[in-house]
Amino acid sequence: ALRYQLSVPQRALQASAVLRRVSDEQHKEPLASSSQQQFDSHPTDQQPEQESQGPRPSYTGQGGQESEDYESEEQLQHRILTAALEFVPEHGWTAEAIAEGAKTLGLSAASAGMFQNDGSELILHFVSQCNTKLTELLEQEQKQVQLGEAEKKPLDQFLRDAVQARLRMLIPYIEKWPQALSILLLPHNIPASLNLLTSMIDDIWHYAGDQSTDFNWYTRRAVLTGVYNTTELVMMQDSSPDFEDTWRFLENRVADAMNMGNTANQVQSTGEALVQGLMGAAVTIKNLTGLNQSR
Amino acid sequence: MNDSMTLGIHRVWKDILVHKMNPSPGTLLLDVAGGTGDIAFRFINYVRSVRERQLQRKLRHHQNLSWQEIAESYQEDKSKSLGDSQVVVCDINKEMLKVGKQRAQHLGYTEGLSWVLGNAEELPFDDDKFDVYTIAFGIRNVTRIDLALQEAYRVLKPGGRFLCLEFSHVSNPLLSSLYDLYSFQVIPVLGEVIAGDWKSYQYLVESIRRFPPQEELKAMIEDAGFLKVDYQNLNSGIVAIHSGFKL
Repeated sequence: ALRYQLSVPQRALQASAVLRRVSDEQHKEPLASSSQQQFDSHPTDQQPEQESQGPRPSYTGQGGQESEDYESEEQLQHRILTAALEFVPEHGWTAEAIAEGAKTLGLSAASAGMFQNDGSELILHFVSQCNTKLTELLEQEQKQVQLGEAEKKPLDQFLRDAVQARLRMLIPYIEKWPQALSILLLPHNIPASLNLLTSMIDDIWHYAGDQSTDFNWYTRRAVLTGVYNTTELVMMQDSSPDFEDTWRFLENRVADAMNMGNTANQVQSTGEALVQGLMGAAVTIKNLTGLNQSR
Repeated sequence: MNDSMTLGIHRVWKDILVHKMNPSPGTLLLDVAGGTGDIAFRFINYVRSVRERQLQRKLRHHQNLSWQEIAESYQEDKSKSLGDSQVVVCDINKEMLKVGKQRAQHLGYTEGLSWVLGNAEELPFDDDKFDVYTIAFGIRNVTRIDLALQEAYRVLKPGGRFLCLEFSHVSNPLLSSLYDLYSFQVIPVLGEVIAGDWKSYQYLVESIRRFPPQEELKAMIEDAGFLKVDYQNLNSGIVAIHSGFKL
C-alpha cells in the first residue's frame, strides 16, 4: 500500500487541511477494501466542509510515525473521483465533473487540476470500482454455494449472470458511456484499460471454476472477452425496457461460446478419424503394391 | 522589451500557464507580482469562453422551454458573464498596478478585477481565501522565496492550486550554450538600445542564472506544505511551470 511519507522538517503546526486521519475510520485493512469503506461512508458525511477545515492534530516532531495514519494522496484522489461520479450524468466524463466532485468534499474546484483534463482517470477509476464490486459479488455467491445455501449454477448461466451484473453497473451512466469507451481506446489509455478488462475476465473465469493450465486458458479468455465487448456495444444502442434485447443477445452469445467447445471437439475427432482413414488407405496401397512384405 | 527579448514567446508561455490552470467559472484567482495584468486578462478571457460554452450547453438542454422563458434566462445569465470569477492582482510596485489598471480600461476589462498593493512575503489577505495562486516571472525577484511560498500556502483554500511560471535551467548542453550566448551577448545590448539600460538587463540575466533549478524549487514548494508538486519544462527548460496543491 502506498503511504505518503511527509518528510518535512519539524514544524509546530503542519496542518494538512483535508488529508484525514484514516485511523479514525478503523483503517487496518488492505487499500482496496478500505477505499471501499470510505466510498460507502462518504454519503453519510453530513458536513464535509467542517470536517476538512476543523482543527487538526499537530505534529510533535514525530513526523514519521504520525504520517502512517494519515490518508495518502492516492486515497484522497480516489475519494474525489468517487464523489465526481455523481456528476457524470450531467457533465460527462470531464474535468468539470471532477471539479464538482471536489467541491462536495469541501475542496476548491482547482484541485481537479491534479487529474488529466480528458477525464481518463475518472473513467479508469470507475471501471476499476465496478470490477471490484463484481469480484465481491462473485465471492459472496461462491461462499453461499460453499455453505450450501445456494446451488452451483451451470456454466452458461454463471457466465450470463456475471456479465449481466457487470454490465448493469453501467446503467446509471449509460448516456455518457459511449464517450467513455472512446476515451478508453485512446492510445495512452489502452494499457490501463486493457489491463482492467483482462483482469475482470480472469476473475469471472476463476469463480466459474476454471483451472485450466493449457491452451484452453487463452481461448476461454478470448471468447469471454469477445462476448463481453459485443454485449456492451449492443447495450449502448438498446432502447428496450430494462435492456431485454441486450440480455437476450448475451444469452445467445454465451450459448454460441458453449457450442464452440463442442465444435472444437468435433473438429478434432473428425480430424482424427480422417487421419486414421488416410493411414488405412496408405497401408492398403502398400499392401497392394507389395511394398509391405518383408523379405 | 519582453517581446523583443523573448521574441514574443512570453505570450505563449503565459497562455500555456492559463491553459494548464483550466479555471472553471467561479474561480477566485490571486495573481502575485502580476502588475501589468497579463495573466489576469488571460484568465478572464478563458473563464468567459468556458462560461459561454456552459450557457450554450444549457440552452441546448432547454430547447423545450417557451420563448418567454428563454428570454428571461438570458437576463439572469447576462449579469453573470464571468460566473462569479474574480482576479485579485497583487503587486509590490504601485506603478505596475497603475499601468495594469490603464491597460485594463484600454482593453475593455471592466468586471472581475481588483488591484491590491502588497508584498509577496507578507500578503494582506486572510487564510484560505483563493482557489488559485499564480506568480509569473515574479518569484525570482522575491528576497525570501520560502516566505512567499508559505504565504501562498496560507491564503489558498484547501484543494487550492499554486502555479509558478519562471525562468529555469536548461539541461540540454547544446541548447544551454546557445541560450547563454543569447542571454549574455544579445539581451543587455537590446536593453541598452531599446530601454537605455544595460545594467538592469545584465542583472536580469544573472538573476536568472542564480535562481534555483527545477528540482530545487520543487523541493522548496514541497517544504511549504504543498502536495503533488510537479513541474513542466517549456522550451526545454528555459521556462518552467511548477504546480502544487494544498491538500
